[in-house]
Amino acid sequence: MNSSVLNNEQMQAIEAPLIARDIHKSFGDFEVLKGISLTSRQHDVTAILGSSGSGKSTFLRCLNLLEVPDAGELIVHGQPVHIRHNRHGEAVPVDEKLVERIRARLGMVFQQFNLWSHMTVLENCMIGPLRVLKQPKAEVEERARYYLNKVGLDNRVDHYPSHLSGGQQQRAAIARALTMEPDVMLFDEPTSALDPELVGEVLLVMRKLAEEGRTMIVVTHEMAFAREVSSHVMFLHQGLVEEEGAPEKLFKQQESERFRQFLSTNF
Amino acid sequence: MHPFKMLSEYGPLLLEGAWLTIQLSGLALLIGALLAMPMSVARCSPRAWLSVPVRIYISFFRGTPMLAQLFLVYFGAGQFRHELQAVDLWWLFRDPFYCALLTFVLNTTAYQAELLRGGILGVPRGEVEAARAYGMSAWLRYRLIVMPHAYRIAFPALGNEVILLLKGSAIASVVTLFDLMGQTRAIFAKSFDFSIYLWAALLYLLITMVIVRIWRYLEKRINPHLQRRVIQAPKAVKTAVTATE
Repeated sequence: MNSSVLNNEQMQAIEAPLIARDIHKSFGDFEVLKGISLTSRQHDVTAILGSSGSGKSTFLRCLNLLEVPDAGELIVHGQPVHIRHNRHGEAVPVDEKLVERIRARLGMVFQQFNLWSHMTVLENCMIGPLRVLKQPKAEVEERARYYLNKVGLDNRVDHYPSHLSGGQQQRAAIARALTMEPDVMLFDEPTSALDPELVGEVLLVMRKLAEEGRTMIVVTHEMAFAREVSSHVMFLHQGLVEEEGAPEKLFKQQESERFRQFLSTNF
Repeated sequence: MHPFKMLSEYGPLLLEGAWLTIQLSGLALLIGALLAMPMSVARCSPRAWLSVPVRIYISFFRGTPMLAQLFLVYFGAGQFRHELQAVDLWWLFRDPFYCALLTFVLNTTAYQAELLRGGILGVPRGEVEAARAYGMSAWLRYRLIVMPHAYRIAFPALGNEVILLLKGSAIASVVTLFDLMGQTRAIFAKSFDFSIYLWAALLYLLITMVIVRIWRYLEKRINPHLQRRVIQAPKAVKTAVTATE
């Protein structure tokens, strides 16, 4: 057999960098996720919608194991993540090092930005590639400046996060994620903590990324963004997928009454 | 004797004592700082076998007078002279300087570890979570995010501890050491002139004032992100102003 031909697993890893099947998660007695599946193919932009308490953020956090799913299957870049239960009954990953490698391939953007406040914007972008991916400094700095330029912060590289506006901080956080050159970018309500007039600049950057063909999974309340930018929409309700599909179809006609109501109150 | 004459006669002795005070407390603080860092991390560990012994250690040294601790080391060790000689540790407990140093190290380590623990608990949770989300190992998270924050948060309190230990080190004088307090007592015993205590107090005050200054400077240096950004006026505006004058 020709060694340059990729095997099935490798093909799958390239085509679908992130697969989650039947993810379950409980906090105490409360079951937040009751079996949610998602396949993120390359260039997919998945929008996850749902009212608060629907489990959408928890599901996103399960994808990079900030929360460890109690049951289900998670395959990142072709590598399955195995879960075991410790003696307190908590779900923990079997291989912590594998989890760290996986997280480094999934760029996360948080609602509250979570920039490292004691580092400048440039340092925020560089520290991950330098210390986690152990890449050479010159290369990392060039890339960090490139992405900071791209999000429109080239004149703020030496500022500390506290000296930036919310929109600037979130754009810096996006540049930080980009400098890691992740396979998939996870956005956890990236505009929910912003003043209304600052939402636009962040959405604009995200729209650009989507147009470039970046694989993105976005938990959001921005319906216009979901409709115009995403390639796949998931609507969660009480820990289950209530409705999903292509946005063109979903925003025109809804099968679920709940989704229809959700859209009418949120649009 | 006139106070200034006291100073000119005994000043050099006082300075000698001050130097010993600085050595003793400086060395104790430094060693304590090295020990307190891992100890504070252990104190915050969810693993009981790591955190419980540290908690007991800290509550013992915070809950008993340092003088009692010093006596325990200095006089208590004498009870075990033969055993200590057997393990070749008698040189340490025979020497009052080492006894005082050991006591101060044990004491300040406990305080510094507790202060750092407060710092660790005060680290913004979101930033630690971001570190996890970027694939940092526990070691990297502590090294790059948690401890840099913890030290900045605990920094003013640590400065307080520096001053407290420096003044507290005066009790070294009761185990025959001629630190600043020891020298002062000795001079008083010779001259019966009370003004020497005044000069000693002034010297302590001077040292603590210098420490406060240094600490204030360092605090500014390590916290550039908490300073208000200096907004420089654009040059064009400046020239416009001079033109109208």
